[in-house]
Amino acid sequence: MSGMLAVYRKELATYFRSPIAYYVVSVFLLGTGYFFSYNVVLTGETTMTGTFQNMGLLLLTLTPLISMRLLSAEYSAGTAELLLTLPLSPWQIVLGKYLGAVTILMAIAAGTLVDLVPLYLFGTPETLTIVAGYLGFVLLGMACLAVGQLCSTLTHNQIVAALLTASVLLGFWFVGHLQGFQTSPTLRGLVGYLSFGLHFVDFIRGLVRSEAVAFYLIVSAVALTLSEGYLQWRR
Amino acid sequence: MIEVQHLTKRYGRVQAVDDVSFRVERGEILGFLGPNGAGKTTTLRMIAGFIAATSGRVMVAGHDMATQRVEAARRIGYAPERPPLYDMLDVGAYLRFVARVKGVPRAAMAAELERVSAACRLEAVFHQDIYKLSKGYRQRLGLAQALLGDPDVLLLDEPTAGLDPGQIHETREVIRRFGTEHAVLLSTHILAEVTLICGRVAIIDHGRLLTIDSPMGLQRAVEQSNRVTVQVRAPAPALCETLSSVDGVRRVDLRTVSGDDGLFTVDCQVDGRKDVEAAIARAVAVRWDLHRLERQQPTLENVFLQYVTAGPARGAAR
Repeated sequence: MSGMLAVYRKELATYFRSPIAYYVVSVFLLGTGYFFSYNVVLTGETTMTGTFQNMGLLLLTLTPLISMRLLSAEYSAGTAELLLTLPLSPWQIVLGKYLGAVTILMAIAAGTLVDLVPLYLFGTPETLTIVAGYLGFVLLGMACLAVGQLCSTLTHNQIVAALLTASVLLGFWFVGHLQGFQTSPTLRGLVGYLSFGLHFVDFIRGLVRSEAVAFYLIVSAVALTLSEGYLQWRR
Repeated sequence: MIEVQHLTKRYGRVQAVDDVSFRVERGEILGFLGPNGAGKTTTLRMIAGFIAATSGRVMVAGHDMATQRVEAARRIGYAPERPPLYDMLDVGAYLRFVARVKGVPRAAMAAELERVSAACRLEAVFHQDIYKLSKGYRQRLGLAQALLGDPDVLLLDEPTAGLDPGQIHETREVIRRFGTEHAVLLSTHILAEVTLICGRVAIIDHGRLLTIDSPMGLQRAVEQSNRVTVQVRAPAPALCETLSSVDGVRRVDLRTVSGDDGLFTVDCQVDGRKDVEAAIARAVAVRWDLHRLERQQPTLENVFLQYVTAGPARGAAR
């Protein structure tokens, strides 16, 4: 536990001493603010539905920038040789790093709460729907970061890690569109189930389905397990 | 403390380390001497647990590296050849991170950081960002990190590379002091380094352990690899006789110079004494024309040659 905590603290310290975290957080908040104003002011609806939809897309484009350095930077700087020879199990490394990235995600989520102020000042939004939306947002972000961490575990090049992550995430996001091409109910169900986007839409409508919660958690767990396995194997 | 048995690492067809076995006890500094690419780094990485062995076994403080890596790692301080530093952290934050992972208790943290910073002369840069450090400081921070938590075993991959002469001296002192109570394995390709600080010397080349010798034995091999080359116009038999009779010359090898029948190049194997060139020069110049005289510095290659020709039976090898 203390080993994982040490890795976690080191991750946060390095995040906030490089410009990337500041860049990602500020772009995210700016983007969210823009979409929020657009959605709410233009429609006059006091909901976060449209904004959440856009936040999901921002997540797809910005999480690769958070996760790309997780292990790639350790390989290329030679610090992997330290990290992998210290008395740390691969799980302590994987989870410490992952929680560091998730903390950035939480910071982003917390930052967007500002948008709720005018919503509550000038209207009566449905609180539970918003809570469900945020739950979906965090779960989606956790899955994206886990996939990103796996990609970063596989290469020493941060750019490659980011590109790989973005491709995988876009694939997972839009795979639901294939439903329209399928006649077989099994295949329709499968591509629908694999879609990051379709599950997310449920959340922002205020629908917390255990199936969707499980989906994002399973994706995260599988990606992290593969990262751990790869770290063991590459010895 | 360190026990390596039949350690082997293959990368595809390349045999990086081939059936290497040795032990390092507490209170001992074993020097790992070999040219670049001999397999020193690969061996150290296997002992540190960074890479797994293809076959063979590494035991550190009684723990098998293959099955109890984390337990073994608690007893190891490892300074890789390229200092593993987080450029974005400052020196203090970096050392604190490593100390936390190594389980240094919170109450002892400040004293421990002070101890290693003092040992490696890092006090002046303690609050500086690592990316601003000079090469010498980076190297010493890499060593300081390995000393944290007072490990039983210290693995150092070319610890003095990139340091200036003063820093080299200080670093060797740190290692020597540490080696009195711990087991130290250090790799180097600098002959003088091992003879200065190591109790025993393992000589490795092409992934194979040629021998483990004492620094005295190594010194002998160095002396035997001393050579003086002379070029003289003289009758061959008389020249050989004259050179062989010079005090300090052990062996002479005569070669003709192409295109000139009367001119000979002679390689004289000499012992370590300093005036031997002068003695050779005097002996030859009295009677003949001395064209050239050159002392060859003992190179690692020549020393290796001594061991290779002497055979692996020499010393307490395996």
